[in-house]
Amino acid sequence: MAETSTAQQMLDRKMIARIGRRDQSAFSALYDRLSGPLYSLAMKMLGDPAEAQDALQDVFLQIWSRAGTYDPEKSSVFSWAVLLTRSRAIDRLRARDRRLRVVVGSTADENKIAEATNASTVESAADTANKKDEAAHVRSLLNNLPEDQRQAIELAFFGHRTHHEIAAQLGQPLGTVKARIRRGLLKLREQFRT
Amino acid sequence: MISDEQQDQAALYVLGLLEPHEAAAFESELNANSELRDIARELREAAGSVALTVPSQTPPASLKQRIMREIAMKPEAPTVVPLQRPSLGWIPWAIAAGLAVFCGLLALDRVRLERQLADMRATDPLMQTTFFTLAPSAPAPADAKATVAWQPGRQSGVIRISNLPAPQPGKDYQLWAVDAEHKDPISAGIVRVDKNGVGQVRFKPVEKAEHVKAFAISLEREGGVPKKEGPILLVGTT
Repeated sequence: MAETSTAQQMLDRKMIARIGRRDQSAFSALYDRLSGPLYSLAMKMLGDPAEAQDALQDVFLQIWSRAGTYDPEKSSVFSWAVLLTRSRAIDRLRARDRRLRVVVGSTADENKIAEATNASTVESAADTANKKDEAAHVRSLLNNLPEDQRQAIELAFFGHRTHHEIAAQLGQPLGTVKARIRRGLLKLREQFRT
Repeated sequence: MISDEQQDQAALYVLGLLEPHEAAAFESELNANSELRDIARELREAAGSVALTVPSQTPPASLKQRIMREIAMKPEAPTVVPLQRPSLGWIPWAIAAGLAVFCGLLALDRVRLERQLADMRATDPLMQTTFFTLAPSAPAPADAKATVAWQPGRQSGVIRISNLPAPQPGKDYQLWAVDAEHKDPISAGIVRVDKNGVGQVRFKPVEKAEHVKAFAISLEREGGVPKKEGPILLVGTT
């Protein structure tokens, strides 16, 4: 899995260290590497290209200003950036006072999102193919999880509800929902390693 | 040995689903437990990978240009200083504050606070009090202001805020002490304002701050955060 390979993580850390020293070329390289997945996530959560771009801008400015605080002991650069993006997207969802937008594998919604941004797609064919392979792989791992765990993870990750609200939505006790999220994430991690 | 309950909390923590007080308690646990930190890291990596399951999209090329322009305009003013240079962390804050201090609109607040502290001085003549003038920084209103009376000997102070509108629901204002000996600003707690944008709060930083160079107020998640995350609204030096 490219995102979790040790070599890639080392490369990312070096780029972050250079960004911490205000190296714009390192920043540009990191943008090229991460902007696709981060923008895709922002689009999935916000469903609006303009807002997703604003969120992505916030995230990269945050990476620029906070590179020095990145702690490799806590997470890879990729996961750090993903969680920053998710956090900024949730802030925007809350600010808009919009109802929960959970787009859980809905083909119709995915098509709608793809149509909305079709004109902006400028990736090379090879990049696109690689990323599609990667995404397909992760999606298959996620789909291999028991349905209840997959559903809990997707609600927790893409939504901006509390675990109490997720429990209410699923009609399950809070403890059950917590355990499903935890078991699902650990199982996902285990699958990445194999 | 990590219990299932600890692992549950770790999963919710990495997804930001814990309430602020739960998150703070969990962070204390994390600091003391390396095994739990390992679990949290594993969970973070798994959570990060979930992002790869979404349909692939590419942002427009103009976005990169926009962001590169933005950082080119402020390469020398990072809001957070890299770990390698902790002792210089107060400089950008001080510069930002210095540009705004000239307004001199805070004299009235200063006099008021000086009066309030006169009795305290009388009971402790050796006590040193330092005043900090906090000026607005976007997106705070241009007339927002604050004055801090800081007593390093007692490690406590008083802040008076004016013209700062109450934060939106789910947010709080948090006061930070910028200390030359600390890499990150030190939390001095939540500060609240009334409907007129006025607040007066006694505070005590969560860590010892012997070389305070500046104070700042940021907008944070409700209940506050252990490390500054949100935008700075007011900042100032002596």
